[in-house]
Amino acid sequence: MSNPGAAGAPEMMSPVALFMQADIVVKAVMIGLILASIWTWAIILSHALRIRRINHDDARFEREFWAADDMDRFFDKRAKEDLPSAKVFGAGIAEWRRSTVGKVVDREGARSRLANAMHSTITAEVDRLAERLNILATIGSVAPFVGLFGTVWGIMRSFSDIAGANSTSLAVVAPGIAEALFATAIGLFAAIPAVIAYNRMSYGINRIEARLTRFADAFHGTLSRELEREV
Amino acid sequence: MDRAEATGLGLALAGHAVLLAILSLGLATATKKPLLSEPMEVSFVEEVGLKSAVTELNTEAPAPSVAPAAGAPEEAAPMPEPASPDPLPPPPRPVEAPPQPKVQPPPQPRVVLKPALQKPAPQKPATKPAPAKPAPAQAAPPKPAPQPARPAPAAARPKAAATGSGSAQQTRGSRLGRDFLKGVGSDPTPSTSQKPTGAVLSPIALSGIKSAITRQIQPCADRQVNPGPGANEIVVTLNLRLNRDGSLAARPSVVRTGGVGDANSRYEKRVTDLAIAAYTGCSPLRNLPEELYRTANGGWSNINMNYKLP
Repeated sequence: MSNPGAAGAPEMMSPVALFMQADIVVKAVMIGLILASIWTWAIILSHALRIRRINHDDARFEREFWAADDMDRFFDKRAKEDLPSAKVFGAGIAEWRRSTVGKVVDREGARSRLANAMHSTITAEVDRLAERLNILATIGSVAPFVGLFGTVWGIMRSFSDIAGANSTSLAVVAPGIAEALFATAIGLFAAIPAVIAYNRMSYGINRIEARLTRFADAFHGTLSRELEREV
Repeated sequence: MDRAEATGLGLALAGHAVLLAILSLGLATATKKPLLSEPMEVSFVEEVGLKSAVTELNTEAPAPSVAPAAGAPEEAAPMPEPASPDPLPPPPRPVEAPPQPKVQPPPQPRVVLKPALQKPAPQKPATKPAPAKPAPAQAAPPKPAPQPARPAPAAARPKAAATGSGSAQQTRGSRLGRDFLKGVGSDPTPSTSQKPTGAVLSPIALSGIKSAITRQIQPCADRQVNPGPGANEIVVTLNLRLNRDGSLAARPSVVRTGGVGDANSRYEKRVTDLAIAAYTGCSPLRNLPEELYRTANGGWSNINMNYKLP
């Protein structure tokens, strides 16, 4: 911030130049915000890919499940897939086998155990999907404040420079304020995609949870009918 | 970190790098657009000089307008005074010029007289030229026309011959050549100097003088006591008459007062007195530019200054 001349005005709007002119605190804020932005986009991209894949594969799995004739053979063949539906299905079958291994079968107890097993699998899967979304929420709410902190710090510095320079001309004031505002710009740049992605992904994960719950309920109904026929 | 997250991180890094590159290149070129109009320098002054002036004054004389030398310099053999070649060529001309009127007047009377004599002539048929009477009467008008025309080339020819002989006898190196008067007033002068020859008061110099005076008056102005609320809104414009040494030639006179309203009108007289007191109190003004004391468009010998209570 040591008196950038008026001749350097056109180059001053380059992000690299703005960063290089900044104070050390503002630099730290900018670096942190850029890392946050990169991290945000990494989460957004990976989760978008994963949610899309899960939606697609779950629909295919459920279609094939309801079309299958023999549930045990389907279980042996498909239950090892890394899919929420497959895991719910595997948990239900495992619980079914454990409950029906004895001679005396407590049907009510078996029903509630089946429901619990599948429900807990659903929650575990949804938790696993949503584990990074809290980072998006944090970045979306905090990044503007961090950028604002950098801006306030930079403006404080530039005002103290103005006091030192004994001149209030715009050429003295403007560069410091521009680079200070750049911190807020980066904060908003990181926060806006994070907030949008958080809302969209919460909605996507809620949809996956609702679909898994519907599948589990339907499967639970099937197993309950089997349980009645068993004895 | 599984494969999807690694992919996402890589894509995010690449995207940020691309965005940074676009911003660095794009913004740097976007601000280098050519300006619609050239930037001009603007200076704020209270009072402008009456005409524009350069800041640098021309101290040397403007370049002389010299006709090109005709031929190589030669010694003037017969003439006793070749030392001053410039005055020499004019003498032949006055000498040659008189013959022209001498030659011309005789034909003119002849032209006038001939018809005058021939018109009465028909009234005397006894004379010999009577048969030729109509012929001269008709031939006479053509004659006078060539006659005045002829003497003019005749006069011009001796003139040219005279200058030719004069130059041969005197100096060939004269700066006044054959084309001495050729295109007078239409040829561009060889001087390229556009500077004004005298000191002129530019707006910048005027504002500089005013600020110098204000600075020297400041100690006295600071001593004045504000007579009441609103008095500091009154602006008094004083006319200063200064001597060359910076002292006041006369008591400053009030040109006008501004900013006087209902609230502070009773302080107007007091503020004008304070203004005059401030200028008289610090009156010998120093270090004002001597060359701008009196110029073509004013100077600090007679200058208007504004005064306002702090």
